[in-house]
Amino acid sequence: MQLRLHIWRQAGPSAEGMLKTYDIGNVSEHMSFLEMLDVLNEELMLKGEEPVAFDHDCREGICGTCGMVINGRPHGPASRTTACQLHMRSFKDGDEIYIEPWRASAFPVVKDLVVDRTSLDRIIQKGGFVSVNTGNALDGNTLPVSKIDADLAMDAASCIGCGACVAACPNASAMLFTAAKIGHLGMLPQGQAERSTRAMRMVLHMDAEGFGGCSNQYECEAACPKGISVDWIARMNRDFVKSSVVGRE
Amino acid sequence: MQLNSNVPDGPLESKWDDYKAHLKLVNPANKRKYHVIVVGTGLAGASAAASLAELGYKVTAFTYHDSPRRAHSIAAQGGINAAKNYQNDGDSVYRLFYDTVKGGDFRAREANVYRLAQVSVNIIDQCVAQGVPFAREYGGYLANRSFGGAQVSRTFYARGQTGQQLLLGAYQALERQIGLGSVKMHCKNEMLDLVIVDGRARGIVSRDLVTGAISTHMADAVLMCTGGYGNVFYLSTNAKACNVTAAFRAYKRGAAFGNPCYTQIHPTCIPVSGDYQSKLTLMSESLRNDGRIWVPKQKGDTRPPDQIPEGERDYYLERKYPSYGNLSPRDIASRAAKEACDAGRGVGPGGKGVYLDFADAIERLGIEVVRDRYSNLFEMYERITGEDPYKVPMRIYPAVHYTMGGLWVDYDLMSSIPGLFVLGEANFSDHGANRLGASALMQGLADGYFVVPYTLGGYLAKGGFDKVSAEGPEAKAARVASQEKVQRLLAIKGKRTPASFHRELGKIMWDYCGMARNEAGLKKALELIPALRAEFWSNLSIPGTGEELNQTLEHALRVADFMEFAELMCLDALHRNESAGGHFREEYQTEDGEALRNDEDFCYVAAWEYAGESTRPILHKEPLTFESVELATRSYK
Amino acid sequence: MRSFGELWRSTIITKWVMAITGIMIVGFLLAHVSGNLLIFAGQEAMNDYGVWLRELGHGTLLWVLRFGLLAVFGLHIWSGIRMARINRAARPVGYKKFESRTSTVVSRTMLLTGLLIFLYAVYHLAHFTWGLAHAQYYYGLDALGRPDVYTMVIQSFQDPLIVVIYVVSMIVIGMHLNHAINSALQTLGINHPKYNTLLINGSRALSVFIVLAFLSIPLAIVFGFVK
Ligand SMILES: Cc1cc2nc3c(=O)[nH]c(=O)nc-3n(C[C@H](O)[C@H](O)[C@H](O)COP(=O)(O)OP(=O)(O)OC[C@H]3O[C@@H](n4cnc5c(N)ncnc54)[C@H](O)[C@@H]3O)c2cc1C
Ligand code: HEM
Ligand code: HEM
Ligand code: SF4
Ligand code: F3S
Ligand code: FES
Repeated sequence: MQLRLHIWRQAGPSAEGMLKTYDIGNVSEHMSFLEMLDVLNEELMLKGEEPVAFDHDCREGICGTCGMVINGRPHGPASRTTACQLHMRSFKDGDEIYIEPWRASAFPVVKDLVVDRTSLDRIIQKGGFVSVNTGNALDGNTLPVSKIDADLAMDAASCIGCGACVAACPNASAMLFTAAKIGHLGMLPQGQAERSTRAMRMVLHMDAEGFGGCSNQYECEAACPKGISVDWIARMNRDFVKSSVVGRE
Repeated sequence: MQLNSNVPDGPLESKWDDYKAHLKLVNPANKRKYHVIVVGTGLAGASAAASLAELGYKVTAFTYHDSPRRAHSIAAQGGINAAKNYQNDGDSVYRLFYDTVKGGDFRAREANVYRLAQVSVNIIDQCVAQGVPFAREYGGYLANRSFGGAQVSRTFYARGQTGQQLLLGAYQALERQIGLGSVKMHCKNEMLDLVIVDGRARGIVSRDLVTGAISTHMADAVLMCTGGYGNVFYLSTNAKACNVTAAFRAYKRGAAFGNPCYTQIHPTCIPVSGDYQSKLTLMSESLRNDGRIWVPKQKGDTRPPDQIPEGERDYYLERKYPSYGNLSPRDIASRAAKEACDAGRGVGPGGKGVYLDFADAIERLGIEVVRDRYSNLFEMYERITGEDPYKVPMRIYPAVHYTMGGLWVDYDLMSSIPGLFVLGEANFSDHGANRLGASALMQGLADGYFVVPYTLGGYLAKGGFDKVSAEGPEAKAARVASQEKVQRLLAIKGKRTPASFHRELGKIMWDYCGMARNEAGLKKALELIPALRAEFWSNLSIPGTGEELNQTLEHALRVADFMEFAELMCLDALHRNESAGGHFREEYQTEDGEALRNDEDFCYVAAWEYAGESTRPILHKEPLTFESVELATRSYK
Repeated sequence: MRSFGELWRSTIITKWVMAITGIMIVGFLLAHVSGNLLIFAGQEAMNDYGVWLRELGHGTLLWVLRFGLLAVFGLHIWSGIRMARINRAARPVGYKKFESRTSTVVSRTMLLTGLLIFLYAVYHLAHFTWGLAHAQYYYGLDALGRPDVYTMVIQSFQDPLIVVIYVVSMIVIGMHLNHAINSALQTLGINHPKYNTLLINGSRALSVFIVLAFLSIPLAIVFGFVK
């Protein structure tokens, strides 16, 4: 098939960016979206032009490296699918496709479609862990965890840190990402000792990074390739307020 | 070069405990004076960096990813082994040790593998404490599943995302230390060279991928945890950026490379669909429990599968291996598929695929049972191929998956360069010629959490670390060399992209050094590779500059090393005149096509020493002696 | 320990302030609409209610409630504006093309509908409480010497302009509440998979009820059911 792509090109963090239009032919429906961009890049390079920079690595939907807004939707039109797992059969001959980077002040553009997401790591640094040194651990079966709780913890833990929730949120809020980690650890007995301080520190830091607040738009859940539920946000709100009101940290 | 495995004396069972008990210790107050560089923050690197920082060492870590959480370890699906014997089914440290040695076709070092089995139990405890949401039984206790190559159920798992959850555990421990200021993390920073001062590894040269700045970082020891090199084949199940650069640079600085030819091919991957194919996706092996593998009997039969009558299908695994059938081991199933396709009976685009058919299973068990067991895999398959496996048989083909070879290390995980430790898939240590499922995660974490924190201390405690400067002659020379290399690549201004060279190299490797190898093919590859390399250095095109984010340049730097490394792999494959595990030489097989090991002549680790640009590398042999197990032939008839 | 100020500035606490004050305003609306519906019971009941209100707690409680309500409105508006500013700063460069999946124009324009409600409230007070707008209808005293709220309302809603303003305003309030009520529950963490459907439908029903109940008054007067 033949496609017309409108891709955000920006040479560097402080450079002016703009949408540029490219026509690409011979796109097979079996290609993944990123393979289509690979082909475009090869063509551009042969013409002596700079290829489009975009982030990716595993190309199987688990590392969370890839991410771009495709036709107005983070990771593209297919639900629960990362950009790397999106295939061209979701499009048809003659389509125009807009491709833009994640937009948030906490995700500055590095180049073209590549953004800097280290703000998410810094949120984790504030409390997204259990403080247990290597060697401290008791036998794994000492603390039973109900299967239901373990499954719920796993639901939250399956976040791949891609940032699509931020990209989708009208407020560029990182609530879903932060809530998923607080929820994962808060569901397990191992996470209880730090539950109160964790919620406090991570949320305050999320604000400090310049992410927006939540106005319960639920775009994040719809865009999340792992289908993380906004119920985790409600749970985080509870944890945070409890910590604010009665926490001693 | 003198290779000494430094395996401590004493009975196998107590070597590690005795060794630990007598290691020299670093005074706690002095630990922060020691500075350790950790390159790579996958399972091995993140666990090591976090554990060392917890102990008090000053740690600086590097990864080319934008976050440690993205390392390739994240993609592991199946699970992690541990000799917990929670199932009361007769598992033990010895049994895990034995299965691993046997699975590795008796080409691994006994003492290392035994230690791996010993610490496997601590890994699970540590991960549970970190909040890794392992699968649980209804009673709340940890669940296990069975995996290939074992008769006990000892694999711990977190849905189909075990690697992800283990990595997130280690990542979180690492982020905690970064937050505390005890680890300095450099993301989007790629190691380009190793700095050696007075014969010891004392630093690295790295390139900041965002600014392009090339700088030197000095320390008292360097840990390399940089993963495997399966991408030398271009197409593999590895993440796109996986590469051999760090390991190969260390090799060129004098670290011996162990068994580079040992690669594992996984039989159930989604086949290539076109030239644009950029990577291959693994489908869990568990599918072979219920799926039946077949190809048409007729050559070049292009009828849709449902129009090929039963009598015209060849269920070749069931035919050839009646007792194991579709569950034959990875290497055997892979080779059989290749044979069928090479004979022109492959299916799908390009004829590179075989059917994995669930029609019988659906009839026998009902669609609901099949859905319950495999729905997530079926969905993934459909997302990629657009075909519904409930209706049309899946198409699968083998793909490169894991590399058992890596930098040679001793019992301390130290390479032949003092002060350079190598952990995880980057070293050659524990899997011999073939790795069992769910053992790589175990090894990465064992190295990082429970081995190197001890052995590195032992090394540092010996002392004698003069201050070294990033402006010292060795550091400066290494930095300038890297800068020049970048400039040289940028200056070629030819006509081909790094990806096109990579693809071509991959094809050579797959054709001649892939699933089945032979002398003529390997010799051919050894002619083709230098020619391609010469073209690479004269006809490469890289747009843009070196002072910015330049993904083409990154790729070119990696391909440049693959170009040289590929030759080493072929040399190793050519010299090993036997078939063992993942290394199958067509000349060395039994009458019915099984791998034929030669314990007489090849029961050793091949450790290659770099000897200069145009000189053949020097082969060193570390003999493998087996005190606790008896060498036996694997048979799956 | 964290200072009160630091916590107060967090987006989640700001959201809680908004949700709690919002729910208090919803509470006020329910009370107000119940009182207003007395208009269907006739002049007697309505005016009696007016007097009762004025004499609550010897006249002081009414003032306490008034100031309380003022504070609640103030906090609600403050938190709304604060969130809007933070959220705008969080995405300085927008998308050229964006397609929403779950949010709606209504849910994304809460500040606008809120401000319209505020304007309405000022107008409404000027109308019925201060007698500054449409002073010609401002109440006199009824036969018993009570403020004749009943007649004021009936006469006011004879004026088509006033009716239009009220009807439009009630629709705006309905829009605001449509997103607001369930949103407040989520903000407060009142959320459980067992009850979520109930909560969502309940919220929607409540907002529809409030709007219809208010609307019934001008409409009943316009169509002559109440004279
Ligand atoms: C699809 C798939 C499924 C698998 N499933 C399983 C399974 O079920 N069970 C199992 O046990 N094993 C499995 N494996 C194998 C296992 O995942 C890997 O062997 C293991 O995770 C490797 O861990 P590592 O820490 O050594 O390396 P990696 O996780 O690959 O990490 C390498 C790190 O090094 C960094 N790095 C590399 N080079 C440089 C450089 N030059 N400069 C700076 N940084 C650098 C990278 O950024 C990264 O952080 C699977 C593998 C694949 C491909
Ligand atoms: C009839 C009067 C009003 C009622 C009953 C009301 C009620 C509510 C409620 C319950 C919420 C939900 C809070 C949450 O999501 O946590 C809300 C949100 C909001 N209100 Fe009001 N409100 C009223 C008037 C106003 C006014 C006068 C403003 C003026 C600025 C305003 C601005 C907002 C804003 C900006 C939000 C946030 C919406 C969001 O976060 O998506 N509201 N309101
Ligand atoms: C059709 C709808 C409405 C009608 C008929 C109505 C009617 C009235 C009347 C008659 C009064 C004066 C009562 C008195 O002085 O005794 C009043 C007061 C008031 N109304 Fe309304 N109202 C309506 C909607 C609203 C709405 C939607 C709001 C909120 C945003 C509101 C807020 C107020 C306030 C704040 C007062 C002042 C109360 C006081 O005296 O302190 N009203 N209303
Ligand atoms: S919550 Fe979902 S969308 Fe957000 S980072 Fe995690 S996986 Fe991505
Ligand atoms: S889309 Fe944004 S507003 Fe909240 S519910 Fe999700 S973070
Ligand atoms: S590239 Fe890893 S999730 Fe898309």
